[in-house]
Amino acid sequence: MHEFRIPVSVARAIVEHAQAEYPKECCGLLAGPDGEPRERFALTNVDPDPVMRYNADPKELKRATDEIFDRDWDIASIYHSHTHTPAFPSQTDVERAFYPEAVYVLVSLADRQRPDLRAFTILDGRIEELPVVHVDEKAS
Amino acid sequence: MSIEVRVPTILRKHTGGQRAVHGEGKTVREVLDDLERSFPGVRGAVLTESGDLHRFINMYVNDEDVRFLGSLETPLTDGDIVSILPAVAGG
Repeated sequence: MHEFRIPVSVARAIVEHAQAEYPKECCGLLAGPDGEPRERFALTNVDPDPVMRYNADPKELKRATDEIFDRDWDIASIYHSHTHTPAFPSQTDVERAFYPEAVYVLVSLADRQRPDLRAFTILDGRIEELPVVHVDEKAS
Repeated sequence: MSIEVRVPTILRKHTGGQRAVHGEGKTVREVLDDLERSFPGVRGAVLTESGDLHRFINMYVNDEDVRFLGSLETPLTDGDIVSILPAVAGG
């Protein structure tokens, strides 16, 4: 994979989710046919330290993955926000990257007026950034 | 009793790429022990060295998180589906 193509509406919804949860981190999944990030599944961050960490509610995670499975879709992405640090995977993000198939999308609100959304693969502890291409559904 | 176990991508290296496998057992722990015989490595990826469920692994019997049931001793009945889902977590 050389780039990460995300619908404009999905990227906007991730940023809105991040802003709504600020200063806590938000989290969720993106999924679609053939692993394309067509639809967003917002999840509740139940980590006891939600400003610094995220952990998606296990019951919501099960419900979302069942829905993805039933539609014959695949998980495309796991997204979360950093509210005080740049949009780059932290050591904890690397240690807890349990979904090798997923593109990890991070949105930073370190500057709340200028949200920064970036995409990475995290495989065997190695981080690789993917250029993000915002796809305007109406134009295509 | 054969129980279907749904396996996440990260564990499929132990199951020859299969998304779902079958194990025998009357509890979640027995099924994991049985799977380990057919698919070495699965149990170690799910349990800690002391035999508890790993902090960042969720297991479900049908729709219920086993942490709210009987954890690894949760009894299983014919037709139950066990799912393994790693936590969606980070910092």
